[in-house]
Amino acid sequence: MKNQIQGLLAAMAIAVCTSASATGLATCESGPKSGWQPIEKLEKQLSERGWTVRRVKEDGGCYEVYAIDDKGQRVEAYFHPVTLSPVPTKSR
Amino acid sequence: MAWVRVWPKWQRLLHAGLALTTVAALVTYEGGRLHELAGYAALALVLLRLALGFAGPTPARFTSFVRPPMVTWDYARAVWKGREARHLNHNPLGAWMVVVVLALGAGAAATGALYVTNHFWGEAWLIAAHALLAWPLGLLIPLHIAGVIHASRRHRENLVGAMWWHGCKRAESSDRARSPPEA
Repeated sequence: MKNQIQGLLAAMAIAVCTSASATGLATCESGPKSGWQPIEKLEKQLSERGWTVRRVKEDGGCYEVYAIDDKGQRVEAYFHPVTLSPVPTKSR
Repeated sequence: MAWVRVWPKWQRLLHAGLALTTVAALVTYEGGRLHELAGYAALALVLLRLALGFAGPTPARFTSFVRPPMVTWDYARAVWKGREARHLNHNPLGAWMVVVVLALGAGAAATGALYVTNHFWGEAWLIAAHALLAWPLGLLIPLHIAGVIHASRRHRENLVGAMWWHGCKRAESSDRARSPPEA
């Protein structure tokens, strides 16, 4: 009985550790960060388009933006940090 | 041999619905339409189960099967030594599994539903809370299944049939009472 329980706990620990990595929706070939444009410039560009930017973070070498767009829709969009142009995302 | 209906049809359907929606939400963890639909359905089901746990039929109430921590600890030690008593309703460890899974499920579904509102969209703390509440379910569900398999073998009965299909377990004079809980 003890061996059964110990084996089970070990198996579950391994399963948890190997499945804990999440994946993003896009990747960008964006080079070193010294060549990136500042986040503020992206935020300004988007707010001029009527977006309300909630959060910008880095994901897969891209800027990942959580925002409410000009139509009032929630969007999670990716932008290239060098060109600040939109990056197509895989659908989910 | 006498058989008792331990888990009525509504309880079996709720269990099946919660199992399916929870697994669906975990599998689609990256988000999207299916993840959101599974989450809303799970939220409705878990709230219904919580309400019935406080005000439903007596055997389904939490007070009928949740035992104090020390009683549960003694039961766990008996399991470890391979001489735990059989319970007709949820055993003390199974009861705490019910409580923890329902609490985490409610928390995960509620934080997820809030996150996809315009008000909370993009809030890092909320999505972190959602992940912290949801991921332990991926650990607890296999543990729950392991507990069911163990109890089924230990007491030579088909607990999967009792919870997913016919709802019945055989009655034995040595059983711990189904409800109200033994003193």
